[in-house]
Amino acid sequence: MTAPTHPGDRPSLRRLAPTIALTAVVSALAVVAAVTAAPHSVRVPLALGGSAAALLLCAAVTWAVHAGRAARGARRRLETVSQDIGRLLQQQARTTEEARQEQQRLIDELAQQRSEFADSFEQERARIHQDSSQELDWYRQENTRLAAGLERANRERASAIAAASNAAGRMQALATATLADLRAMEERHTGEDVLADLLHLDHRTAQAGRLADSIAVLTGARSGRRWARPISMESILRGAMGRISGYRRVRVHSVSEAAVAGHAAEGVMHALAELLDNAANFSPPTAEVHVYVEEVPSGVIVSVEDSGLVMGDVQLRRAEQAVAGDTSGLGGLTGTRLGLAVVGRLAAKHGLKVSFRPSARGGTGVLMLVPQDLLARPVAEEPALPNGTPSPEPVPAQADPVHESAEPDDAATEDEDADGPTGLPRRRRGRTLAEAERKAAHQPAEPRPAPAAEDARVRAARFNSFRQAVRPAGPDSDAGSEAHGTSGAADETARYAPAPTHDPVPAPHPESDPKAPSHQHAYPEGDTTS
Amino acid sequence: MSRPGRDDAPDRLYTITGGRSGAGPDNPFDLVTLVVAESEPATGMQSEHAAILRLAEFPVSVVEVAAELRLPVSITKILLGDLLVAGRVSARHPHRPAITDPDILEQVLVGLRNL
Repeated sequence: MTAPTHPGDRPSLRRLAPTIALTAVVSALAVVAAVTAAPHSVRVPLALGGSAAALLLCAAVTWAVHAGRAARGARRRLETVSQDIGRLLQQQARTTEEARQEQQRLIDELAQQRSEFADSFEQERARIHQDSSQELDWYRQENTRLAAGLERANRERASAIAAASNAAGRMQALATATLADLRAMEERHTGEDVLADLLHLDHRTAQAGRLADSIAVLTGARSGRRWARPISMESILRGAMGRISGYRRVRVHSVSEAAVAGHAAEGVMHALAELLDNAANFSPPTAEVHVYVEEVPSGVIVSVEDSGLVMGDVQLRRAEQAVAGDTSGLGGLTGTRLGLAVVGRLAAKHGLKVSFRPSARGGTGVLMLVPQDLLARPVAEEPALPNGTPSPEPVPAQADPVHESAEPDDAATEDEDADGPTGLPRRRRGRTLAEAERKAAHQPAEPRPAPAAEDARVRAARFNSFRQAVRPAGPDSDAGSEAHGTSGAADETARYAPAPTHDPVPAPHPESDPKAPSHQHAYPEGDTTS
Repeated sequence: MSRPGRDDAPDRLYTITGGRSGAGPDNPFDLVTLVVAESEPATGMQSEHAAILRLAEFPVSVVEVAAELRLPVSITKILLGDLLVAGRVSARHPHRPAITDPDILEQVLVGLRNL
């Protein structure tokens, strides 16, 4: 046997012992019997042979028994193994079946779940789609609503601004006309009380005009007045002072000969007025506000120094931001503080540079740089300089580039126009009296350029004011009674004074007609912007 | 009378006089007072003062000054008063009027008005 045998498969000697013993006993008996029965002569060989045969028999029986038993054990083991194999095969088959079933079950389950998921996903997607479409609709409606609202707000804002701008423009025109009327009345009434009242009204009107100017600037309307000739820095400063309430507290320190070009003069004046007003309002009511004018290579620096409140960092930053001109909307306006926003708009429009710093006087100092391209040489002041007197430094090349360059053949047409049928000057829009004077001033070696229309005009104006000055020298004036020699003449002229109001001769020029009330031209002036 | 127009000056009268509306009682000027400058215009001076000093290089009457400056006589008197206090002008009254005959004055006035 080559196969490994189990210990139980090999028949042990102990289990073979009864077989061996039985065989030995039987063979021993047979041998003994045979020996006994045999004659003496053969007894010995017979005993020997019989013994050997008995031994062989025993061995053969033992081997046979052993082999039989071994075969039985092997057969039994074979059966066991076969049964095991069958069982294992069955088990495998069962396991396979179970696995297959399980797989099938899982597959089914998966498919079911997949379909479920697909269903729910589909539902979810449909729901979300619906939701989103609803939401989209809602948003679209909301968007439409908001767009309509925005459109309406924009339209309302635009119309409100347009209305404000229009109203401001009309207010400006009214204020301008009123100021002109007041000026005319100031020329006409020489009584000191009347004049004081008129000046008071004039001041109030100028402030109202500044407010209208501010609104016009903020609403983007055109600026109030356009000056056709350069305005000297002194007039700029005085014009600015005249528009604030506390102008008596402003001290001007200026020796500047510069003038601001006509197109920018109003803006510079207005910006300065706002700065002066700020300085006057934010300083003690008795403190003075000092204005210094300094010419620098890049232009003219006007510094306004007050001794009032020192601005904090936040206020400084806010003020700088306000005057930087980057406040694109009107949202930052607080209603009471329009000034800096106005300054910012004007600065952005004309290229002014405004900065703040602490003042050496204890308050706030504001620097405003009027750039060089807004400046022009001052023209000769027409009432100040009698004919032919040139200004100290007449530099025609720098004088008001707008008029010089825009109309090069101005002089020729003007000379033709100047001597009209009435001999009086005819002014067109944009034509400046000052320029005509300047041209007259440049005519060489002619102390009195004889028939110049301007001269006639000056003479007419002089006579006019002479007559006005003479007329009220009546009971309320002490002018005539002071001097002994002139009292008679004054009385005489006073008697003639009412005559012009009944004068049937039509006045050749509106300026020499005292009867023409200034209200008549006030309304056309007022309607220019309406 | 000045027309409201483009050529007006932006200065208001009260800024020219610093808020004063009438000359004081000791103001010696009347319409025909002759004014003579006593000094040259100085830098930094108000432009009207400088203009008066230039005008009054030779004797000139207050009315003429007012007409040249295109200012009311009252305002001119205030300005002249300032200059007088500062000693920059002197004032004197004409000794006697050149023309005393009212008829001549009337004729002159009518003639001027018809000009």
